[in-house]
Amino acid sequence: MIRLYHINKSYGKHNALTDVNLHVKKGDFVYVTGPSGAGKTTLLKMLYGAQSPTSGKLLVGGVDASKLAAKQLPFLRRNMGVVFQDFKLIPTRTVADNVGLALEVLGMPREDIMRRARAVLNTVGLRGREDAFPLDLSGGEQQRVAVARAIVNDPAILLADEPTGNLDGAMAVEVMEILLAVNLRGTTVMVATHDTGLMNRFPNRKLRFESGRLVSD
Amino acid sequence: MNQQFSNVLRRSIRSLWGNLSLNGMVVGVIAAALLLAGAYLQVLINLDRMMSEWDRDVHISAYFYSDVNEDRRFAIKDDLAKLQEVEDIVYVSEVEAGNFLVDKVPDVKTILEEFGSDVLPASLEISLRSAFTNPADIKKFVEQIEGHDFEDIDYGQEWVQRFESFVSLIKSLGVVVGLLIIMAAIFLVANTMHLVVYARRAELETMKLVGATFGFVSAPFLLEGAILGLIGALIATLGIWGVHHLLFLRLEDALHLALGNESLVFLPPGALIALCLIGMLLGMCGCLTAVRRFWVAAP
Repeated sequence: MIRLYHINKSYGKHNALTDVNLHVKKGDFVYVTGPSGAGKTTLLKMLYGAQSPTSGKLLVGGVDASKLAAKQLPFLRRNMGVVFQDFKLIPTRTVADNVGLALEVLGMPREDIMRRARAVLNTVGLRGREDAFPLDLSGGEQQRVAVARAIVNDPAILLADEPTGNLDGAMAVEVMEILLAVNLRGTTVMVATHDTGLMNRFPNRKLRFESGRLVSD
Repeated sequence: MNQQFSNVLRRSIRSLWGNLSLNGMVVGVIAAALLLAGAYLQVLINLDRMMSEWDRDVHISAYFYSDVNEDRRFAIKDDLAKLQEVEDIVYVSEVEAGNFLVDKVPDVKTILEEFGSDVLPASLEISLRSAFTNPADIKKFVEQIEGHDFEDIDYGQEWVQRFESFVSLIKSLGVVVGLLIIMAAIFLVANTMHLVVYARRAELETMKLVGATFGFVSAPFLLEGAILGLIGALIATLGIWGVHHLLFLRLEDALHLALGNESLVFLPPGALIALCLIGMLLGMCGCLTAVRRFWVAAP
């Protein structure tokens, strides 16, 4: 599902990723871990096309994402869900509208969007909060809205950048359980985290990065 | 299709409503640009009409030498009347010319009485058919009749030609000035819309990150630009109408001699439609420029 061949990414003289090679199979659940500045977020950004590698080859779902034309990028992204570290919820839109955004860009009829959004919000435990606005929600609820938006289009790949970073223990467990449930339905999940407690509680494959290098798999 | 359009419309209205002051600025910029361009166009249209009127009313005065007797004059008149270019020809005797002048300028009566009523030369007043009123034909006709005992032939065309050159210059300048105005308007609209886009950058960035295409994101802005451009054009039309009634029509009396039987006109429907289309295009170009600038920079 995801293959990296000798991927390098540098910002000027600073190397964010150095000679990274890895293979994530369809349906895998993978943690991307390591200290701050290790390159976790850079790796995820590369996977959803927000950044391109300085060199190397990057295949996502069989598509060479390193050579992707700007016009093709939306179609790559429609096949994946992303939980951003800062949620990226639109404060002027309701929770249901935020979740439905990933379907709205596909041109889906509004009634269908709302039906799907309500169903997914139910899955993440936010039933009855459809018409609230993000700023009216707690941090944990906002995180779950972000997860709901990432999974509403049944993506083949789910990328989550520190999805439990802002949450207390119980809430973090809840979010992890949602991600694991999504994975059970066949979605490939990559979670960037440095929360060792959660990784121990829900053991899965770990990719450990240090100073931009993949040091253990 | 309907679903997509209603989606675009909904997002456009939301943006129009949510950024009233910035959208007001866009409308103002477009209205100002189109007011300038429209007023200029109206002046040009009226100058053109003025020139057409003059061209239509080409009038040649051929003044006889004083020693040409009246029989000869009428013979020449009859000869000229047979020419295909001539629509009408009138003989004006020395006395009639004096009376005409006194009619127009009563103060000269005493002078004429002192010098004699036949001080002005007799003439033939020739009107040409409309097919022969272009400068080249007039010149050819004048050359053709020059040998017929005329001391002087006056047709005022030299002045008309100079004026035509002046109007052509204004037209050419109008194209350059119009282009500059349009470019400046696009620049200003794009910069103002950039503020609208900036205010919504988080939303647009998120849309891009979840797989929105450029067309999906820019469509509501294009519609918004078209609506703002149309409103700007309508305001400009109102402004031009105001200028027409408050300024141009007051000049009509002063321009009476130049206008002849014509009156100053407001922009024709075609020009108004063009103004609206240009306004919509300005708004759309400005919005598209702003969205593209954002889109290229967004992750």
